[in-house]
Amino acid sequence: MMKNQLRTRIIGLGNPILGDDGVGWKVAEQIEKELEAKQPLYPHLCIDVQKFSLGGLSLMEQMIDIDAVILVDAIQTGHQPIGSVYRLNLDELPNYSAGHTSSPHDTSLQNALQAGKLMGAHLPDIIRIVAIEAEKVYEFSEHLSPPVEQAIPKACQAVWEYLSELEEKR
Amino acid sequence: MQRITIDPITRLEGHGKIEIFLDEQGNVANSYFQIPELRGFERFCVGRQVEEIPILTNRICGVCPEAHHMAGAKAVDAVYHVDPPRTAKMLRELLYSAFYVTDHTTHFYALAGPDFVMGPDAPVAERNILGVIHKVGLEIGGKVIQARKYGHTVVEMIGGRKVHPCTSIPGGLTKGITEEQRQQIEEMGRWAVDFALFSLKLFDEIVLKNSTYLDLILGDIYTHRTYYIGLVDENNKVNFYDGKVSVVDPEGNRIGKYAPHEYTEWIAEHVEPWTYLKFPYLKKVGWKGFVDGKESGVYIATPLSRLNASDGMATPRAQEEYEKFYQTLGGKPVHQRLATHWARLIELLYAAERWVELATDPEITSDNFRTIPTEKPTEGVGIVEAPRGTLTHHYWTDERGIATRVNLIVGTTNNYAAIQMSTNKAARNLIKGGNVNEALLNMVEMAFRAYDPCFGCATHTLPGKMPLEVIIRDANGEPLRELKQNL
Repeated sequence: MMKNQLRTRIIGLGNPILGDDGVGWKVAEQIEKELEAKQPLYPHLCIDVQKFSLGGLSLMEQMIDIDAVILVDAIQTGHQPIGSVYRLNLDELPNYSAGHTSSPHDTSLQNALQAGKLMGAHLPDIIRIVAIEAEKVYEFSEHLSPPVEQAIPKACQAVWEYLSELEEKR
Repeated sequence: MQRITIDPITRLEGHGKIEIFLDEQGNVANSYFQIPELRGFERFCVGRQVEEIPILTNRICGVCPEAHHMAGAKAVDAVYHVDPPRTAKMLRELLYSAFYVTDHTTHFYALAGPDFVMGPDAPVAERNILGVIHKVGLEIGGKVIQARKYGHTVVEMIGGRKVHPCTSIPGGLTKGITEEQRQQIEEMGRWAVDFALFSLKLFDEIVLKNSTYLDLILGDIYTHRTYYIGLVDENNKVNFYDGKVSVVDPEGNRIGKYAPHEYTEWIAEHVEPWTYLKFPYLKKVGWKGFVDGKESGVYIATPLSRLNASDGMATPRAQEEYEKFYQTLGGKPVHQRLATHWARLIELLYAAERWVELATDPEITSDNFRTIPTEKPTEGVGIVEAPRGTLTHHYWTDERGIATRVNLIVGTTNNYAAIQMSTNKAARNLIKGGNVNEALLNMVEMAFRAYDPCFGCATHTLPGKMPLEVIIRDANGEPLRELKQNL
């Protein structure tokens, strides 16, 4: 890593064997393939790509000592057609475990980040989210629904554009 | 592209859901606790090489991949009729002990802790790990993160990668550990023992010395007299990785022990029309409905049940705590479900002590970490104790080792009938005359939280966690109130 570079991590989230829930991984894999060729466009960013099936505290721990994170994951809102791509900030997601009914075994990412910061961990100030409207996330399969599969290039484009924004700000 | 605010109500299908039906007087007539089920795992596995399945199963769930990997590894050993060398078994158990420390720590501090540290009637916004850290100090938060970090490190050293281990293969492991790694593991384990003792001391000060909490634990609302199961070693001491499953009745008498391949003689599954998930019960006793007692085959598989089903702990300090547990709570078995939180901390101490024991065994760094299988593969069962219950994997293959059938009974499923009973009882006791408020609701939730039920396998999709919805219906079945305190 060069001095003054922004440590930037792209995280594909989801379960790669649970149908559309695996779309975050697929996007991350695509970004990984293109990264070497595109890295020169982002001289101020030190970019790495990871894939996880994590949430809450465990996900927060994967962000320690990183400056900027782009999360890519499936989402189910029911408001937009399957395969729609959203760009969100973390605060646009509801913080489900304000209490913890919703979170039988963990806490929300928002709470986990707050807890991590309280305890002195260096955690990213910038967390952007690229989310893809998913259809089938309750049935085991390594395949995506066709509209979700077709959304991969658009989701990758959203990631590259987020990276360009970060690069411009440096 | 459009920015949206997510309305989680649209995700009803995936919600864990409690529906509470009131009668005409506004008292609870019945309640139903529904857990969403993921479908098609067996179909997904059939046709694959069986040794792939322990790697695949650890993707079922983001909460306890290590448990699925271990149960799967043991099932594959059985499929190939191969007994791994002592070093391989110890390394797997060492990884597993470190995982237990991580998992039990998270449960206590992030989930159970808020109820006791903040109090069951504290405002919702404070009843989480942040509230706990604010109240008891940043130093504790740092220790929690450190415990998790050490656990993750050991899993990665032995398991080959972060979170989702991949080194267990038929007959053992793909690699061993070096002396340098062993020393690091030992050092981290010694820290974990101190941390577990610290956690028990904290529990003693905050919970046991508080008569209100002690009354809550010992009260009838959270009590059920059921059967208990748990894996034990040859001395009938609690073991998370290996042994036979001990079964004790509500009076504490052991009615038998079964080896993994005998599980179908002991466990059967009951079906209800209102949920996809099945209710396992003890076959020898029979299904009598959602009722307590010696005649009912309902059992639980949790930290509390593991203590009840055993004769003690195999490590010295955990054994001392085990004795204190039963002395304080009035003898064995303990039926009060909220005592599970204490039992979990005793297991945390055992896991940490076992971590050190294994890390200091002279054979742990041996190169003899695999027995090459030579038999034709057929069928096999592997059982481990997942943190939230006995986990059974059963695989069948053809003679080439291609999976032809797969059956899993996962931790939370074991407890489904008991969770349903506990939630129902708490609701009946706490909701009277149509009076429902958030503090009461949280006390209903506490009934199932003790079991640490895990829907983790379905929670990866953003927004990241599965909401649990509570719907209260009047005598005509119309929604009277929908409680969405987190939505």
